[in-house]
Amino acid sequence: MKQRVWDLPTRLFHWALVVLIGLAWWTAETGRNSLHLWLGYGVLFLLLFRILWGFLGSSTSRFSAFVRGPRAVAEYIRNRFRWPLAGHAPLGALSVIALLALLLVEVGTGLFAADEDGFFSGPLAYLVSIGASDRVTGWHEELFDWLLILIGLHVAAILLYRLALGRNLVGPMITGKADLPRGMEPMRPATPIVAIFCSLVALAGTAWIILGAPPLGS
Amino acid sequence: MVAKSAYALCAIVLLAGCKAQEPANQANTVIPSAETHNTANNAPPTHEQALAMMKQRHDDMEAFGDETKKIGNALKSSSPDIAAIQQSAAKIAGLAPKIQPLFPAGTGPDVGKTRAKPEIWQKPEDFALKAHDFGQAADQFNVAAKTGDLSQINASFAALGKSCKACHDLYRAPKKD
Repeated sequence: MKQRVWDLPTRLFHWALVVLIGLAWWTAETGRNSLHLWLGYGVLFLLLFRILWGFLGSSTSRFSAFVRGPRAVAEYIRNRFRWPLAGHAPLGALSVIALLALLLVEVGTGLFAADEDGFFSGPLAYLVSIGASDRVTGWHEELFDWLLILIGLHVAAILLYRLALGRNLVGPMITGKADLPRGMEPMRPATPIVAIFCSLVALAGTAWIILGAPPLGS
Repeated sequence: MVAKSAYALCAIVLLAGCKAQEPANQANTVIPSAETHNTANNAPPTHEQALAMMKQRHDDMEAFGDETKKIGNALKSSSPDIAAIQQSAAKIAGLAPKIQPLFPAGTGPDVGKTRAKPEIWQKPEDFALKAHDFGQAADQFNVAAKTGDLSQINASFAALGKSCKACHDLYRAPKKD
């Protein structure tokens, strides 16, 4: 019997992120700067939401449920990629944490970045010197290559699970449900009110940054 | 070291060649001397002149970027520093007309490191037109800055940005590092 594994907010977060990262890449390569800025704000909102959701959301989305040490990863590998809990297994959790952390840095540097012609800049670029903004812009560009590598690993791992272990990881991220072994506890969902609360806080945080983080700037 | 000596040797040989031809040139006024040929308008620059022009225009472009970033940052503040904007606007307007002459034929990517695309020299009229538009936008922005009126400054700054982009979109290669 199919049981719940991922809640709707987590799935929406995931697929919205896929779309926004793809579009942000395209706009960066084709010089569509103003659109790129708004896509960045979208990613910022998603990340803020996901961080809050990681503390207040459904059981499988909480950091406390999947942030584990290297010992858990080793045990998971020794057990031939079997894990007794629904949600992120230790190795996949590493990928989630790395992707979230790198995305945070990518969006964070974007906030202080400026295009070389000086007509588009992140909402916080005016708070730092032009030299600092230029350096951060360089990091923003270089880090994206690392992000692509991590995304490549993430996709390759999903393919491997499918081909080598016969496990479908994409389906549950779409439907939210998976066949769980007998006795495995399914997701304990958070209430929609919590999701709305997290969205509103994330929206407020994003708006504050778009406005240039008042009153930090004079 | 070896390369330098080779250049010096070439230069000496070339100079010697000029000297040898001088009497002939003087005798026949129809054939221009090597010197007048070099200063003629459409003569390709020497390798060194080309590299110097390419460096100059790169520095000028960087200077434009620094000024537009200063202006953009100032405009984001709740009480923009008008005097600073005026200073930057004057710098841009002063530098703008000097840009196009730094793109003669023979200063393309085949000569040295540059993001200038070969299309510049395939469509020289269009390139000149865009450079002209940029000069006008820079002048208009300078005028707007002098009024101190923020709505005028914002509008003409956006127009200036468009004139930069119009040329860069067509004639500047993407950044590679």
